[in-house]
Amino acid sequence: MKLENKRIISVLIVFCLSFIGLVGYMSYFQVFRAEKIKQNSYNKRLWINEENIVRGSILDRNGTVLAYSEKQGDEIKRYYKYGRLYSHIIGYSYREYGKAGLELTYNSQLLNINENSAINEIINIVAPSTVGNNLELTIDHGLQEKTRNLLKGKKGTVISMNPKTGEIYSMVSLPDFDSSRLKEDWNEIAEDPNSPFLNRAIQGLYPPGSTFKLITTIGALNTSNLDLEYDCVGSVNVHGYTFTDYQGKGHGHLNLKSALVNSCNTYFTSKSTEIGRDTLGRVAEGFMFNNKIPFDLPVKTSSFPVNENIDKTGLAAASIGQGKVLATPLNMLLVASGIANDGEVVQPYLVKNIVSKDGKMLKTTRTETLSRGTSSIMADKVKDMMIDVIKYGTGKNGSIKNVQVAGKTGTAENASGNSHAWFVGFAPADDPKIAVTVLLEEEGSSGGRSAAPIARDLIIYALNNIKF
Amino acid sequence: MIKKGAKSRQPRNLLFLFEVLSLSLLFLYQWDSLEKSTYITAIGLVLIIYLSNFLLLKISDGDQYIFLIVTMLLSIGLIMIYRIDEGLGVKQLLWISIGILTFYLTYFVLRYIKGWRNWGILYLGLSYLLFLFTFVLGSRIKGAKNWIKIGGISFQPAEITKLLLIFIIASFYSNKEKYKDIKYSNYYLVGIVYSFIALLFLQKDLGMAVLFYVIFLALQYIYEEDRKLIFLNIGLFLAGGLLGYVVFDHVKVRFVTWLNPWPYIDNKGYQIIQSLFAIAEGGFFGTGLGLGYPYFIPHADTDFIFSAICEEMGLFTGIGIIMLFLILVYRGFKIALRQKNKFYKILALGISVLFGIQSIVIIGGVLKVIPLTGITLPFVSYGGSSMLSNFIALGVLQVASEDLGLEDEHYEIGE
Repeated sequence: MKLENKRIISVLIVFCLSFIGLVGYMSYFQVFRAEKIKQNSYNKRLWINEENIVRGSILDRNGTVLAYSEKQGDEIKRYYKYGRLYSHIIGYSYREYGKAGLELTYNSQLLNINENSAINEIINIVAPSTVGNNLELTIDHGLQEKTRNLLKGKKGTVISMNPKTGEIYSMVSLPDFDSSRLKEDWNEIAEDPNSPFLNRAIQGLYPPGSTFKLITTIGALNTSNLDLEYDCVGSVNVHGYTFTDYQGKGHGHLNLKSALVNSCNTYFTSKSTEIGRDTLGRVAEGFMFNNKIPFDLPVKTSSFPVNENIDKTGLAAASIGQGKVLATPLNMLLVASGIANDGEVVQPYLVKNIVSKDGKMLKTTRTETLSRGTSSIMADKVKDMMIDVIKYGTGKNGSIKNVQVAGKTGTAENASGNSHAWFVGFAPADDPKIAVTVLLEEEGSSGGRSAAPIARDLIIYALNNIKF
Repeated sequence: MIKKGAKSRQPRNLLFLFEVLSLSLLFLYQWDSLEKSTYITAIGLVLIIYLSNFLLLKISDGDQYIFLIVTMLLSIGLIMIYRIDEGLGVKQLLWISIGILTFYLTYFVLRYIKGWRNWGILYLGLSYLLFLFTFVLGSRIKGAKNWIKIGGISFQPAEITKLLLIFIIASFYSNKEKYKDIKYSNYYLVGIVYSFIALLFLQKDLGMAVLFYVIFLALQYIYEEDRKLIFLNIGLFLAGGLLGYVVFDHVKVRFVTWLNPWPYIDNKGYQIIQSLFAIAEGGFFGTGLGLGYPYFIPHADTDFIFSAICEEMGLFTGIGIIMLFLILVYRGFKIALRQKNKFYKILALGISVLFGIQSIVIIGGVLKVIPLTGITLPFVSYGGSSMLSNFIALGVLQVASEDLGLEDEHYEIGE
């Protein structure tokens, strides 16, 4: 072939490759990049959908409407009937401020925008929807109101759930904000140093304090040849650091049960070396520490230092929920629920059903096991100890007439100087229907004194009013 | 000839089917409020395309496919333009008709007037004259001073100059013997092309400058015997690009918004991001005609028509358009390989490179593969002058596809 023609062909090849490269890039763009780019809030098409589709309603477990949209002339307006009550669950959807909460997670279901597949695209073209789907939550509106009233005036969070099914009955985090007045309040909320936008139940990481002793107790039960007897004198020195008991009082002669009932720090810190980092870490991870908890809203991951090099003092601190251990209140709820549910941790969820406008059930959430925290024998042993915590120990304020409550208190020291007050528990102990976590941030008083009564009142209301 | 006719009937009928199907989209889109202009546009398009394809078969025994390919591109473009703006669609149909007439006119003029390869100086003079016109009479559209208005009709002279450039280069390399005695004649050519590019830079017409450069580089690569000149050419372009980046703000903006447009989402990066939104929204099958939002895309009827098409007709139609250009370029190169007449061989190459690089530059631009430069997508975008010049180019390619015999230099040499 002539040199000239050879060169012509090489130029042709360059062109062909460029064209094919464009086709390749387009396909790559569509498959891997398009989804994220489409979601950019500058994409006006996102809001065109909003303007034409009546967003679905959000209801509680009994059919009470919590949020709904209504067409007013050309405009569709979103109403948040209970203002502040659901700000951390439902969140909000505003053109100016974007979306949060379930409004964000379930946006396409609420708008009934089908996922991007060939058949759905044809459906979208032939029969574009004008009304979105409804969400039916696991929340009990009455209990949610009660929960908020119990927490009112404090900073912190209360969550309750069914330990066997994972249904969240109520979830309140204070301070909160008014979903229906976001436009008016935006600047004030954004500048508030107490961060009302923060959902403390799932986004707050706190030292769990003595509530973590539940895990250390299981760790101790899992350690063979461990001497479970101990003489408490009110303080103990572990590897150069002195741990003291609450108000420095010694508890005298203790076994594992009485140590948990009295929440004895010196007992657990001195046993921690023998239990060891690995055993303690394994139990903690069985209860979802260091694991992502799948949920309808974004959850921060709790941490227990399994891979870090911590010395004996660090491990001792960890064994009583101080030092490098951090947990979300939701995670501590799963610890209590796991013990209540024979050692099995179930996945918590907020959205029970997705229902189309004509009442067709589109999706139902089923109970799923997340992990096995411990064996049912161990769970039973710990449950017995937790009953005694309420009967005779630090959690007396959580006791209810005629109902056996199991629980554990916690008073967690932190950088602020005012300790966090914790309570985790469940009831009735022989057939648990509800598990509760109470966290009062920087409350400056003990969990038994301030957190346990909130849990008690919540459980009383729930057992009398919820249709389980 | 008869055999050939029978062979070509099938693709022509397939094309007819394609037209009917694609136009039915337009009718479905307008179903509730069909207008007279829609009927006129649809029937007009089918008639023009079918007749001209039919006629071409009678007239030319050259390539029968390039015109078919172009008519498919025209149809996709027209449907999109009509959907965006009905008045513009009717106008575009008019431009298509004039374009096809120009195509035939070019064909006959080129076929029956000889000596085109000897008028290099004439092309050169005409090019500079057109540049002069642009500077004197030019008005700014979209920030580039590259349009002149004569009696209400806007016209972009560079659209003609790009063809003249191909003619200049073809005439130079096919007359090499003649220029052999002149020392550094090939350097003069580089100088001429660079003077064009510099003038285009001054008009802020970056897309056209890139077009001119690539056409020149490709032809130089094939025909230049002095190979080090090619490296000089590449080096000069890089240096010029760097200089342009430093000196001209509009070059810098294009580059910065190509690297990362997101921080400039509501100013400099607005156009390219709107284009990306549209393509992303389209998915593989598109939203369907009339169900997308081409009004969100700036210049959806011209520079960004590819994005608008991708949104409503989907990624697959976008790939289809790229494939059509690929076949068009491939046919063009094949024509060049077969052509024995050197002047027409170079013309065919130049035109194929023109179609190829113009579509790559604008499609790559709206996809953010390369920096965005504003030029039209040949035969698809709305626009009179680009339609005319592309049809002239196609006419030249059609002539080049025929058997023109060996070099027609015999009667020229006798001068």
